[in-house]
Amino acid sequence: MLRLLRSEAFRLQRRWMPWVLLLIIAVGAVLVYLLIYTSVNAQLQAIRNGTIPDQPGTRTAIEQTVRQLRPDRVQAFGVSIVNGIGSIMLIVLAASHIGTEFGWGTLRTLLAHGASRSGFFVAKLATLLIFAAVFALVGVVASIAGSYLTAAIGGLETSPGVDLPAVASAAARGVFAFVPYMALAVVFAVWSRSAGAGIAAGLVAYFAESIVAGILVSLNRDFATVVNYGLSRNVASITRVTVGASVGPAEGGAGSVASTLPDQGQAALVLVTYTALFLALAWWRLRARDVTVS
Amino acid sequence: MTGEVVLRTSGLVKRFGALTAVDGLDLEVRRGEVVGLLGPNGAGKSTTIGMVLGLVRPTAGRAEVMGLDVATHRQEALAAVGAMLEVTTFYPYLSGRDNLAAIAILRGRGAQGRIDALLERLGLAQRARSKFRTYSLGMRQRLGVASTLLADPAVVILDEPANGLDPAGQREIRELIRELAQEDRAVLLASHLLHEVELVCDRVIVVKKGTVVTGGTIAEVTHRDSYFRIDVPDATRAAGLIRAVPGVREVRVLEGALDVVAEMDRGAELNRALSAAGIYASAIVPTASTLEDVFLELTEEERSAPAAS
Repeated sequence: MLRLLRSEAFRLQRRWMPWVLLLIIAVGAVLVYLLIYTSVNAQLQAIRNGTIPDQPGTRTAIEQTVRQLRPDRVQAFGVSIVNGIGSIMLIVLAASHIGTEFGWGTLRTLLAHGASRSGFFVAKLATLLIFAAVFALVGVVASIAGSYLTAAIGGLETSPGVDLPAVASAAARGVFAFVPYMALAVVFAVWSRSAGAGIAAGLVAYFAESIVAGILVSLNRDFATVVNYGLSRNVASITRVTVGASVGPAEGGAGSVASTLPDQGQAALVLVTYTALFLALAWWRLRARDVTVS
Repeated sequence: MTGEVVLRTSGLVKRFGALTAVDGLDLEVRRGEVVGLLGPNGAGKSTTIGMVLGLVRPTAGRAEVMGLDVATHRQEALAAVGAMLEVTTFYPYLSGRDNLAAIAILRGRGAQGRIDALLERLGLAQRARSKFRTYSLGMRQRLGVASTLLADPAVVILDEPANGLDPAGQREIRELIRELAQEDRAVLLASHLLHEVELVCDRVIVVKKGTVVTGGTIAEVTHRDSYFRIDVPDATRAAGLIRAVPGVREVRVLEGALDVVAEMDRGAELNRALSAAGIYASAIVPTASTLEDVFLELTEEERSAPAAS
């Protein structure tokens, strides 16, 4: 098992995709900070210049947005960037990580050289989980850098600085929230023996389910009792932070819709159940299927 | 130990729905010998190899490597096997060397230390750092063969190793296969190149519709249908005499000649029997079948209606 894991890590390090994903999150997180600051600063300047009217609440809302960019809010804003981009990226990586083994025919090469199906599956999942953690770490570090850079450019308050325990907690919950979507991508990739199908199914589920859930709850809050057993609202609950920002495909962090989110205990249980179900289905298919030679 | 059976299948059966791809196949491969597994497309060769490697689950029967049942002790059994499958697949984004390294990590047991020597042995050292996706078919095959030897295996399974190789490359692979047998490894070779099989194999097994239709040494298989063409003046009388010679299986009387199906070492006895009766043959010509003749004859029906593998 350890050999398979080492072999898996060896191959993953030599693929361009993980490095590109890390580059995207590193650059992307900093860019989001800078773009948002540039945007809100331009609005503030326009209000000050009288180019746009200073309606009640507008300036306050903008100032609140600027406050989100400060280092002491990284656990909310910065981590939400990582989670938002990360969910999509990791769906792509998870499906590709397993699906390409079928597409390239390398699964049978590995098995023919003595790898076990269970070892292959566990090694894949372990490397995905490790990569998700590395991805979150890089993203958080980039967010912190982006926050300090923005603060330096805009003259924002940097005290009391980054709340590292809060950031670590939020990032860990973010990684936990990645897992069911990655598992979903894996199950589709295994069943279809295709990276493309895994990516497509994972992304469709990610976006469509959250949009439908959001619409239903907006129409009638009673629908929350049903959609709260889906993925998106439980992810939103898990990744919610007290300072207001949250992630999830469509759910905002605050307000009346957020108040219908499941509690975090239920959310964790639902996400673990989905993950276990997806992985069990993937494993069952992988274990039962003949790997034809030609 | 030379002669020890290291690969055995017993009553191996594989059904895909209504199709029986392999039907009660028994085979044995011993250390130090090269066994050719022959058959037309869809005869069940690759499925058999798949079952030996635990890639395909047998419907019935068992495959053993070094006495270990592959179904229950797959990893221990496959530790002694190096296998190259019909379609050689590696990671396209890795170099040839890195592909071997990835497998060597998996194999352990000093496999990393064999990489450079194998690249050299298979003529890939110059292109070791090129990406696999840039390799020609022949280079891919060579890399496949190299990968089978990483674990210093007792059993080597090669499915169409000479695919895509030029004549010089085919010859190198033949020499390598012979060397493997001399190193006391067992080699199971599936190939469509019958000339190659004839040159390199100690024994062959011909499968058709998943069952063994014939097997034995090359001489046994090819001589089974060999015969003597004897030109004699009185063919009918000569036929009566010849039938009494030990080892003669069949005599066919032609105009002015006989076709005598017998062991190829019976030529002198045939001549003696005729001479003793005052019949002098103007020619006794041994006519041995080639492996290709035997193969084509045995698999004719299957080739005209190939099944899926």
